[in-house]
Amino acid sequence: MLEIDKQSEGWERIVGSTGEPELVLSDYPNFIDGPVWHAGEQCLYFTEGWMNVSPGKIWKWRPGSAPELVLDGCKALGATFDDAGRLVVCGWAGRNVWRLEHDGSATVLASHYGGMRINTPNDVVVHSSGAIYWTDPSRGLGGNGRAADGDDDAQRYLDFHAVFRLWPGSSHLEPVADDFWSPNGLTFSPDERLLYVNDTPRQHIRVFDVEPDGMLANGRVFYEAEADLPGVFDAMKVDVEGNVYCTGPGGIHVIAPDGSLLVRIKLPDPVFNIAWGGPDWTSMFCTALGSLYRIELELPGVPVGKR
Amino acid sequence: MAWDIEHVAGPYEGPADGPVWDGEALLFALVVESRIVRYHPATGRVAEHRRYTGNTTGLAFGRDGRLYGCQTSGQRVVRFDVDGSMSMLAERLDGRLHNQPDDLAVDAAGRIWFTDPAPAPGSGWVPAPIVMEPPVDHASVLRLERDDDGAWRIRRMTFDTVFPTGIALSHDEQTLYVAENPDDGARRSELRAYPIVADGTLGSPTILESFEAGSGVQGMCLDADGDLVACLGSAIAVFSPTGELLEHQPFGPARPTNCAFGDPGLDALYVTAEDGRLCRIANTGRRGLRSNDRSPAAMEN
Repeated sequence: MLEIDKQSEGWERIVGSTGEPELVLSDYPNFIDGPVWHAGEQCLYFTEGWMNVSPGKIWKWRPGSAPELVLDGCKALGATFDDAGRLVVCGWAGRNVWRLEHDGSATVLASHYGGMRINTPNDVVVHSSGAIYWTDPSRGLGGNGRAADGDDDAQRYLDFHAVFRLWPGSSHLEPVADDFWSPNGLTFSPDERLLYVNDTPRQHIRVFDVEPDGMLANGRVFYEAEADLPGVFDAMKVDVEGNVYCTGPGGIHVIAPDGSLLVRIKLPDPVFNIAWGGPDWTSMFCTALGSLYRIELELPGVPVGKR
Repeated sequence: MAWDIEHVAGPYEGPADGPVWDGEALLFALVVESRIVRYHPATGRVAEHRRYTGNTTGLAFGRDGRLYGCQTSGQRVVRFDVDGSMSMLAERLDGRLHNQPDDLAVDAAGRIWFTDPAPAPGSGWVPAPIVMEPPVDHASVLRLERDDDGAWRIRRMTFDTVFPTGIALSHDEQTLYVAENPDDGARRSELRAYPIVADGTLGSPTILESFEAGSGVQGMCLDADGDLVACLGSAIAVFSPTGELLEHQPFGPARPTNCAFGDPGLDALYVTAEDGRLCRIANTGRRGLRSNDRSPAAMEN
């Protein structure tokens, strides 16, 4: 079975008694990220291109086949699908959020706030209303911004690190929470009444109420963990029961809706981004620098894209 | 004659470095605060010039009149453009990232010579970079230049340094002065003069002077006569091009980090210090060289 620790009551509902992490892809020269499952195609899409060894790419992979290049020469990190099945991508050092259209063209959805370039969008979720929320840390401008090239502007302008919300079908964006040190992963609860956002240097997850107009309120610390092992708070997803899966020190922390740790799942390498997928949404794909692992879990994840 | 040291700006949090005259005012870098500020001698005012500089340390104007800086925590030399943006140039040497640039000098051809030491984590003012891939396995003087096709690339220029910090070019650009400061606490520090050979590479250095471990030259600049004005421990020392000590002036309370001539006549010596202070010395009897003034105001004339 999967290697686990820090179990508490109820952990068997999360992790089964058989199975091991499967290394399904490896040896990518760049950091792979943004894994997201396309149910219609039964493929995993993912991004590559954080380390600026070569231009960034979008890939898609049908388990059992070789990955297929979808787009070359782009800047991309976290990604998800909207309800029309279009890939919505965080541009990281490209300092924008963009969308891959069905015809293969790219549309920039957001790049400036108050006339100034936003920071470096990291991860993104799409609300069922069509509103797009993303995290905007500035780490992509500095030493982590190896996806930048000579054409990029590496100057930080905004004095805050926010979660931004883009109005459905609009170019209007607002920071809906702006007191992060470095926001990273984010995910809605299954009923979209809560938004979880983690903060990598603070080593915690905060949870916000999502108001009917899409604004966030009542931000409070939901979970925190010490750095006892390698690994950082990076991506987060939820299962259909509302348990939060968050990459962190030592592996994937699985946290019940009340904020208590159910179990920590340990993988052979530190993982950065995770995504549900597979025919029943019970597989979890985990990126680890230039590699991709797959683990099988007991509960299905919340599906992405067309609901 | 003792120099009159006038404290004109700061202190700030952490050291100041990279002083450079821009034709009207003195720019200098606040390394820990990640800001560049601008001191106007006529009014005594200090204004913020840039923020979020990524711990930029050394500063210099390029042949194009634009400001270049050693972005220490970004592990690269960057250019600060007049529209407020910041550009990276090249950041890889033979496919690998390099270390944490400290100081730079720009030659008449627009090539940027810079020192690239690798401070041990926790040893310096700047946080150690997150290591996602191994950098080069040496700490050398590197040179950023444009190829015929306009692309920037980096070349390795020294093969005999372990911790270069201060750097300066002679006026005839036939000599590169480098302060080599091994950080192992054992080896002596050296002030070196490398000949620049016809093809632009460096010959074997002459050691102008050596110092006890940890007591070497930090930043330095040349005056109009070609003498080296050097930040040395708790003093400013002036050396002739052959290493003869001409002056030794105490400086405090904090140790000096770097220096540059400024004011309209280039006859004031500006010195940055480890406590973030900027000092101005008007009675050194020395001045900077006008033709080396690559500030934007000079470029327009």
